[in-house]
Amino acid sequence: MLRKLIKHEFRATGRIMLPLFLVLLVTALGANLSVRGMLDTRYKVLDILGSLLVVAFAVAIIGVCVMSVVLMVQRFYKNLLQDEGYVMMTLPVSVHQHIWSKLIVSAVWFALTIVVVCLASCIVAFDVGFVQELVWGFRELFRELSRYLDAYYAINGTVILLEFLAMCFLGCCVMCLQFYAALAIGHSFPNHKMAWSVLWFFVLQFATQLLAGSLIALLDESWLHHLLLAWTEGWHLSGTAATQLMMLTVLLGEVLYGAVYYFLTTWFLKKRLNLE
Amino acid sequence: MKWQFSNDAPIYAQLIAQIKVGIVSGVFPPGERLPSVRDLATEAGVNPNTMQRALTELERDGLVYSQRTAGRFVTEDQTMIEAAKRGLAEGHIQTFLAAMHRLGYGREDVLSLLRQEREKEEMNHGDFDM
Amino acid sequence: MAILTCKGLSKRFGGTQALDQVDITIEPGRIVGLLGPNGSGKTTLIKLANGLLTPSQGEIRICGLAPGKESHACVSYLPERTAIPTWMSVTQLLDFYQDFYADFRRDAAEEMLAHLNIPPKQRIKQMSKGTREKVQLIMVMSRAAKLYLLDEPIGGVDPATRDYILSTIIGNYDPDAAVVISTHLIADVEKVLDDVVFINQGRVMLQASVDQIREEKDMSVDALFREVFKC
Repeated sequence: MLRKLIKHEFRATGRIMLPLFLVLLVTALGANLSVRGMLDTRYKVLDILGSLLVVAFAVAIIGVCVMSVVLMVQRFYKNLLQDEGYVMMTLPVSVHQHIWSKLIVSAVWFALTIVVVCLASCIVAFDVGFVQELVWGFRELFRELSRYLDAYYAINGTVILLEFLAMCFLGCCVMCLQFYAALAIGHSFPNHKMAWSVLWFFVLQFATQLLAGSLIALLDESWLHHLLLAWTEGWHLSGTAATQLMMLTVLLGEVLYGAVYYFLTTWFLKKRLNLE
Repeated sequence: MKWQFSNDAPIYAQLIAQIKVGIVSGVFPPGERLPSVRDLATEAGVNPNTMQRALTELERDGLVYSQRTAGRFVTEDQTMIEAAKRGLAEGHIQTFLAAMHRLGYGREDVLSLLRQEREKEEMNHGDFDM
Repeated sequence: MAILTCKGLSKRFGGTQALDQVDITIEPGRIVGLLGPNGSGKTTLIKLANGLLTPSQGEIRICGLAPGKESHACVSYLPERTAIPTWMSVTQLLDFYQDFYADFRRDAAEEMLAHLNIPPKQRIKQMSKGTREKVQLIMVMSRAAKLYLLDEPIGGVDPATRDYILSTIIGNYDPDAAVVISTHLIADVEKVLDDVVFINQGRVMLQASVDQIREEKDMSVDALFREVFKC
């Protein structure tokens, strides 16, 4: 059933996201033309057209990024908590499957948005030399990697980069879940559902930051600080290892936050659902 | 067939009466197969269980008989159909007489009114015969 | 086994008691009218049966199951409002129902749609309110469910559509399934019903069969309703 939910979720979102991606790529092509030939000409018309194309590209990038977030919130809200909820919440599927389908599809769109934005940027900067450099750069990287398999920084750097990407991706998913939890809680109220949702979003945000803030405060000259110091006394951590450790801690923290939001969302959708 | 219902009698009883009229008037000819319960119910716009109940009662009276697989049929027994016709007619007469009684007409008055009505009709249509 | 049972079912919203100690049993093969004035608790009862609300007290069972994923598979629910996703085309909607419900009879749905001249490529968004309601009803009635819960199916539609809806319900009759129709337009549905449940201010006032009422009280259910709920 999860697969079917995901399929229909892609149908619902794809009809908006795919055309947007197309628009972005087309404007990127326009901006590329503009950068290479239209700006700095003697013809005023071309000059103006060129700047317009660049502006269109900037707007498209912002549009695609904003839209992927808005769509993710709007799908959850409209599909599960508005009129469509009467159909969706009476399907023979569990609340967990609903949330996972929404989360997975949103995550895929986030990832695709990043890929397409990168692609669009490449298109803008495209000329023959650029591609040569890109290919050459990658070849160089792999040559280095294969030559020195123990190439400490290369491998660590790649891992840290991957961890960073995972962090961004996971961050997006956790943000999704935070929106879901706020909407699910807000819509359990009999009136002013949207106002309550917004309020709850900020309450969750505040709670999260309070928790993270106090944890950081604790790390500085407190019992925890000394505990950690005593713990790690025998360790000799290099700079990169410390970075790795920090990255992993952050990832773990994100997973924890996500789990709490997930629990809140499912609980409110199961026990406190109150469609208008 | 036109189905009409009043508010004062159980629906199955009204269905029985109307199917009888259908049989007597030849809408459902003798020996003919009746439509299925579902089709009859859909046509009349009534609950299928109610239609089923009406047909069961008709079956008990003998106006309708069922064959295990082929469905329900109207009886071929003309005397039974005649009896049903007579029964319906008597019912109408009873209601009519009761209504006339409420208007203050006695039995003799009713008969003379009926006679006058016939004379009027004969004058209007010369070829009228009874 | 009974299709729907409620035992001491109560639902409270803040200070208001929407349902109060409701006991109902609905057997297979019955078409039951859930009748009551606006705000009497009809929709609350139907939502509880669909798991869209959780009871404050008591229990509700559908084919022996508590409302949830498993019970949803054997309940076909027509909400009081149009809830089908409007961005879909008719074909996509058919795909959707076919994907999620094993008992969906696509050919029956297509036949009914063709009968009403609704083109399969049309989007729900482009349809009139009445057509949307018809499409939704067709989806609901095209399932071979055990329990049909129809919340105000004839509420805002014209008399011709009303007849169409009622004849669809009769034509779809299945002796193993039960149908619950909630409405306040009694005169229109009376002939279609086996039993009626009168509900007012969250309490069940009367449960009887239509012919029983007509026989014993010598009046139609509509007339009885007007008498019971006289303002």
